[in-house]
Amino acid sequence: MADPKGFLTTGREVAKTRPVAERVKDWNEVYVPGSLLPIISKQAGRCMDCGIPFCHNGCPLGNLIPEWNDYAYREDWTAASERLHATNNFPEFTGRLCPAPCESACVLGINQPAVTIKNVEVSIIDKAWDSGDVTPQPPERLSGKTVAVIGSGPAGLAAAQQLTRAGHTVAVYERADRIGGLLRYGIPEFKMEKSHINRRIEQMRLEGTKFRTEVEIGKDIDAAKLRRRYDAVVIAAGATVSRDLPVPGRELNGVHFAMEYLPLANKVQEGDLTVSPIHAGGKHVVVIGGGDTGADCVGTAHRQGAASVTQLEIMPKPGEERNANQPWPTFPMLYKVTSAHEEGGERVYSVSTTHFEGDEDGNVQALHLVEVEFKDGKLEQKPGTERRIPAQLVTLAMGFTGTDQSNGLVQQFGLELDQRGNVARDESYATNVDGVFVAGDAGRGQSLIVWAIAEGRSAARGVDRFLTGTSALPAPIRPTDRSLLV
Amino acid sequence: MTSEYLVNADDIQIKMAQGAKPGEGGQLPGHKVYPWVAKTRHSTPGVGLISPPPHHDIYSIEDLAQLIHDLKNANPGARIHVKLVSEVGVGTVAAGVSKAHADVVLISGHDGGTGASPLTSLKHAGGPWELGLAETQQTLLLNGLRDRIVVQTDGQLKTGRDVVIAALLGAEEFGFATAPLVVSGCVMMRVCHLDTCPVGIATQNPVLRDRFSGKAEYVVNFFEFIAEEVRELLAELGFRSIEEAVGHAELLDTDRAVSHWKAQGLDLAPLFYVPELPEGAVRHRIVEQDHGLTKALDNQLIKLAADALGAESPEAARPVRAQVAIRNINRTVGTMLGHEVTKKFGGPGLPEDTIDITFTGSAGQSFGAFVPRGITLRLEGDANDYVGKGLSGGRVIVRPDRGADHLAEYSTIAGNTIGYGATGGEIFLRGRTGERFCVRNSGALVVSEGVGDHGCEYMTGGHAVVLGETGRNFAAGMSGGVAYVIDLNRDHVNVGNLGAVEELDDTDRQWLHDVVRRHHEETGSTVAEKLLAEWDTAVTRFSKIIPSTYKAVLAAKDAAELAGLSEQETTEKMMEAATNG
Repeated sequence: MADPKGFLTTGREVAKTRPVAERVKDWNEVYVPGSLLPIISKQAGRCMDCGIPFCHNGCPLGNLIPEWNDYAYREDWTAASERLHATNNFPEFTGRLCPAPCESACVLGINQPAVTIKNVEVSIIDKAWDSGDVTPQPPERLSGKTVAVIGSGPAGLAAAQQLTRAGHTVAVYERADRIGGLLRYGIPEFKMEKSHINRRIEQMRLEGTKFRTEVEIGKDIDAAKLRRRYDAVVIAAGATVSRDLPVPGRELNGVHFAMEYLPLANKVQEGDLTVSPIHAGGKHVVVIGGGDTGADCVGTAHRQGAASVTQLEIMPKPGEERNANQPWPTFPMLYKVTSAHEEGGERVYSVSTTHFEGDEDGNVQALHLVEVEFKDGKLEQKPGTERRIPAQLVTLAMGFTGTDQSNGLVQQFGLELDQRGNVARDESYATNVDGVFVAGDAGRGQSLIVWAIAEGRSAARGVDRFLTGTSALPAPIRPTDRSLLV
Repeated sequence: MTSEYLVNADDIQIKMAQGAKPGEGGQLPGHKVYPWVAKTRHSTPGVGLISPPPHHDIYSIEDLAQLIHDLKNANPGARIHVKLVSEVGVGTVAAGVSKAHADVVLISGHDGGTGASPLTSLKHAGGPWELGLAETQQTLLLNGLRDRIVVQTDGQLKTGRDVVIAALLGAEEFGFATAPLVVSGCVMMRVCHLDTCPVGIATQNPVLRDRFSGKAEYVVNFFEFIAEEVRELLAELGFRSIEEAVGHAELLDTDRAVSHWKAQGLDLAPLFYVPELPEGAVRHRIVEQDHGLTKALDNQLIKLAADALGAESPEAARPVRAQVAIRNINRTVGTMLGHEVTKKFGGPGLPEDTIDITFTGSAGQSFGAFVPRGITLRLEGDANDYVGKGLSGGRVIVRPDRGADHLAEYSTIAGNTIGYGATGGEIFLRGRTGERFCVRNSGALVVSEGVGDHGCEYMTGGHAVVLGETGRNFAAGMSGGVAYVIDLNRDHVNVGNLGAVEELDDTDRQWLHDVVRRHHEETGSTVAEKLLAEWDTAVTRFSKIIPSTYKAVLAAKDAAELAGLSEQETTEKMMEAATNG
């Protein structure tokens, strides 16, 4: 800790965003490029190098936050990058996308604005890429074992990179046409430019990881056959089944899952399409679901030129400060203004959709909602509060319910599921099928990107042990670990 | 430590060592010595305070007994604790402590310690309280010393179970620190020494203290849970009170611990041994220590000083003059009288020389310890160790018996450790004194005609004037105050403070002349007389020793006062000067 009094002399300052009027006209990241570098060392100096660093606990990856904060403060970017990569395969993803439970757990956050850990992280990794410090780290010798990873989201990629570096020959199977999973097609370009994924994939390719796109295990290749072909299999297929809203009118044109809407917008960015088939331009858009996916829909709709954007949330509006029942260092439910919300739109809380109204052509025209409130722990509709809002495009961003079973993956392997519809696994991330492991949302249920990477890393250790009898790979979390709650 | 602090204490603890960092002492860095810290510690803002590991007045169990006696005299109503560290042989020390008439002995375990303790010590020094406590209890019982002393233990007690185990091993009082701190908001940052505690606990910085969110109720709540668990466990064991449970080590069992691989092969039976006791023997404290205060000479002094002590206000106190014979069995003379003065009139005491008593004979140890302002003790004869220990504004004058025909400047008039930890007042000594002269003096003026080794060690304030030779290691660890030494042998000055040796300026000369003159007046010193006779040449023989930071702070203070700055601005300037060296 180079500056023991940094937190007393420096206030919290985050990355600057570009003006709304400017940024909604393009799809680039919302931040002013290079705005962090001049301030980040002082910001890192706010870290108090706690005797008991609660941030380690907030982050499932166990990121060595005080250590790289110190290096960032002293502007030793190479050492900072080394410490950062010690626990995190993809800091450029987490530095942009993670909701930063580390900052919720920051000791400074007890009574002051927390250290801008996420900004420090992204500064370190961007600097490392720019200066060429991120190089391929191919294994010195190969183990002769082969591993198939199903799914190329953060969990799959983390597992693949760890296993490749441990000397195994790894092939990543992805059913979409590009590698990246939710990173590629779920996250809008304005939150993370896709060049970051390409750069990382290139590193992995040079390390020896093989990538197979447009191959859906279960459909294109029989799962059992895949298992026979590889010494081990890691399922990192995500929890891709979207939660539906079974109300009258759900079948109308213009009512879509967010995961139908967002990938198409991303395909436009990739250059595959000129105009998205589901386009918000000129329409009144309603986003159902108040979470981060909902916010992604809001930001995308803004950029497509929506006439209006309304985001609905069934729960009451959360506070801007911590509740007494969500004390430090837990990860609290807070009212968050994301970049997409800064750009406009209305947010409506404590409402539930009763039905969609269509025109004679079967296109959605409006949405009927009613206010709800908690009574005896149950959400009840408030009579007389029904109202109608115009809607030509509705996206459903209400979360995910579990592993996709439609393609036969689960059945062909003969996988056991847990009560929540996730693939069941033991302490080493092994499923009931010998040699088949599961990591990420497929095993945990929908979660954060840091948990996905932590799962991928931990599962890699299980696989490595399975293949070689021992493993030097780290396992930051156990399958049963959950974020701290009270 | 002043008379006022001692008089207002319920319990006074002599910290022989700390469980988490035995034998290490501590240091308060200058930048943490805020004005209000300096005020409470009688030191200078911005100047670091060193708490050395040894007590310079305790080199044996007899010395410890003397300090216990001194403190008991300074406040007969307070319990005197002795804090010991759990380690092999602590039982023997505890037995000595009980014999030395301490009211409480504390056995401190190694698991405690704040974030300011060095990590190496926290992890690797000390022993568990269980071992020390068991040894203490057994030794005290075997020697028939248990019934007169309270046994306390601490060192990371956290649960009711800890309390009950400690009781069964022999403790009747229990110290908690870390757990209640955490309850009130401590997050174990381990920066207690940096003054950057983000939750406002281990800091005096007002900005940080504002961030403290703890409430007394949290601690109350915590202890209610502890008490509840203690009750449950006591009920299970069949005891009605903690007192009944104390010392019943035979009820402890180790089965579960022994089944652990690390504990395999350990024979813990000696911990649970209870000595064979005669019928009706008790295992906890039932009688008061006999401090022998009824035999003290001070009872007579208090009666003599009734006129002053009975006054409504300090101004109304009538002067008291008396002459009393003294022998070396009269230890700690004047201290209980001082206690009465401070109790009645508070910290400022009485006007100078209100109570002026002349003693003739040889004084025992700790003559004039903790004596407050308004009391003047004149001794014609000689004194033992610890003259003016903790002097709190009073005056002590020691000169040879008027009938003595020896050359006083070549003889020793008082023993070791003179003016130890004094915070104010004056001591004039017509003759030489022993070692550790003025150690930890923080405000008194002490004049002697020659001192032994380690003079002015760890001094933080006040003045020392030596009109004769000094022993080696002079001014070691001295961080404040000024020493004037005649014919200074620079080889005898501690190398760390050689840079502090200076020439006198005019103000110094004037001040020194005044002090030497008063020394002559008070003691009839021929040494002083000769110096005064040819002062212009005599004064050039003096050297001045003033630590550099202390000097810078004083200079800043003078400058600020000259510029007419407010008190707050002045102290800010002083802090600034201290940090800039």
